[in-house]
Amino acid sequence: MIEAEERAQMSEAVRGALAGAVANGDDVDATLAKLDWLEMLRDEPDDAIGIVFGALGRTNAAATALDDVLAAALGHEPRPDLAVLLPPFAAWAAPGRVAGGELRAEGLATARAAGAHEWWVVCETDAGPRATLVPAAAAEIRRVDGVDPGGGLHSVRIQADAPDLVPADWTAALGRGRRAVAHQIEGGCRTLLELARSHTLEREQFGGPIARFQAVRHKLAEALVATEALEAALDAARQDPGPETAALAKAVAGRSQRTVARHAQQVLAGIGFTIEHALHRYLKRTMALEGLLGSADAIALDVGRRLLAERRVPTLIEL
Amino acid sequence: MSSTPSSEAGSHLPEPSAPLAEYRARLHAWLDAQHEALAPRYEPPGTLDDHVAQMQRVKSLLHEGGWMQYGWPERVGGRGGSPMLRTELGAALAARDLADPGLFSLVEVLAPSLIDFASPELAAQAVPRLLSGEELWCQGFSEPDSGSDLASLRCRATPRGGDPATAREWVIRGQKVWTSLAQYSQRCVLLTRTGSAESRHRGITAFFVDMDTPGVTVRPIEMINGEQEFAEVFFDDAVVPADRMLGSPGGGWAVAMSILPYERSSCFWQRIAFLYGRLQRLVEVAPDDERAAETVGQAYLELFALRARSRATQHRLAATGTIGAETSIDKVLVATTEQTVFDAVRRLLPGTVELDDGAAGERWRNEYLYSRAATIYGGTGEVQRNIIARRLLGLGDEA
Repeated sequence: MIEAEERAQMSEAVRGALAGAVANGDDVDATLAKLDWLEMLRDEPDDAIGIVFGALGRTNAAATALDDVLAAALGHEPRPDLAVLLPPFAAWAAPGRVAGGELRAEGLATARAAGAHEWWVVCETDAGPRATLVPAAAAEIRRVDGVDPGGGLHSVRIQADAPDLVPADWTAALGRGRRAVAHQIEGGCRTLLELARSHTLEREQFGGPIARFQAVRHKLAEALVATEALEAALDAARQDPGPETAALAKAVAGRSQRTVARHAQQVLAGIGFTIEHALHRYLKRTMALEGLLGSADAIALDVGRRLLAERRVPTLIEL
Repeated sequence: MSSTPSSEAGSHLPEPSAPLAEYRARLHAWLDAQHEALAPRYEPPGTLDDHVAQMQRVKSLLHEGGWMQYGWPERVGGRGGSPMLRTELGAALAARDLADPGLFSLVEVLAPSLIDFASPELAAQAVPRLLSGEELWCQGFSEPDSGSDLASLRCRATPRGGDPATAREWVIRGQKVWTSLAQYSQRCVLLTRTGSAESRHRGITAFFVDMDTPGVTVRPIEMINGEQEFAEVFFDDAVVPADRMLGSPGGGWAVAMSILPYERSSCFWQRIAFLYGRLQRLVEVAPDDERAAETVGQAYLELFALRARSRATQHRLAATGTIGAETSIDKVLVATTEQTVFDAVRRLLPGTVELDDGAAGERWRNEYLYSRAATIYGGTGEVQRNIIARRLLGLGDEA
């Protein structure tokens, strides 16, 4: 694991590079490649995910790095023309099914969908998760504008004959992917909060900045509490990696996103309701991310079912 | 007073420098072995008298076994080592329901005042009595007109003879309130006004006062949950020797502030262990349906984030020796999560908190009602958010 100080420096460098790419309209994946993203991912995956996805969230840069995270976690060499099929919105089960020697899959994908030559598709089978590599021709893709046209999401339907199935650690891939998305949401929350904070210090009403008013201050305080809770959950998921901590971190991300977005939008008031202010981009991006690899509500429900079924509440992390 | 554990007790004891995981494992093994001796003697749910007696009995057994001394300095009879060892102990007791975490963790906000601010002789004499369960102490901070605004406190201490530098005794007059366990306590860590009425935090002086001093009167107050955990304490010209002063004249604010790191680290971790224990109990008795799953799942998320945050705080304290305004975030999280857990109880066990006169119902009701105070004691939720806004978000002055 990289030391905290070095990690902070790297975060700042990556954030600066991505902010530059966004400002100049450069290709974000190309910028990440210049930053040796794939080498970072190979050498220090946990730190690489935290640094890069946190920076993507902070800057609202749209990349396809999630495909690399999932491919690597599934044990395959990531490459720019290799996409990994994501489950449908809010869900997380492996997106493929095999019946009678035929593969059918439905789900989401990053912007890599448009240029991929091949897809890894993980299927739920009676023998556990199995993956298969299918050619781009088997994938019917449709760009999804939705709430966040800049996010690059695609909806994908795949149909292929007699796939060659290999064992796949979907649990590991899901954990890594969830942490990546949660880091991106955390970065988005940080920027949402900063946009709101600076607005309350600049916006004057009743003879001074609105940051003077306790009602406004307490909303921002709530937003900071939610963001810090998320960061703590992500740190715990890095220090105690496992499917449970990753799931919880992803769910905390969704909860925190809702809290931060609500308060940030409220204090940004009229200007925040327009596209003349940057708020809407972060708001919409984090809304879309909330549903990737499981929404907060769906994960909480799933976790609650397990606690009740086992009648046991594990503490998961120790001092 | 045993300052070091007896040799027969020592064989199972880990080194204070042992890794935390090893200490934890050895501690739990010992607690397992002593299960019978440590188990509560009262019929559940028990009264406050029962809970206090249980806590003191457990402390005494832990002290005899050598565990109570971990994490405290050797000069006050401790074994040394990281304060996190104390935190582990308190959390283990809370998780096993052996001692009320709110009562047990009072040690964390009392002993440090003596260790850091009493004369070495006084600290060495007094602290072992607290750790061994021989004595209980209380904390006389809040007053009827000084709640959130502690620096406005008015309980007056006057040097006999008029000169603070040479006075051998101080005379105390005034009132404290919300003093937990005052009616059980032998001593009180007391904040008094020694400067002018307007001197705020600069004119406060701390004393270590014997509760049997003539002129000290305790009137317990019944709380919303039916217990008398806290009290009013009246000081009518109670005389305290000058060598019982903690810190210097006018240095009482530092005494009050010095306990904050422990209150916000160790005490919270113990509270969190208690909350996991109660959520555990809830999932044992809750219906196995969708609504319960959703409610329990949401509470579990909050608990996980809180535990993660609190762990990071303890490690930062251990690494840097200090924590500050950022712990207002921990305070907001621990308070809101406690209320979430007991809201879940009401939601999933309808009628239990409201109507059940059995032992389990009484306990849930007591804890539910107590949880409403979580956003009030130790600095209200509003004060915490004010601190977060000013100190952490840099929002400047309020209107």
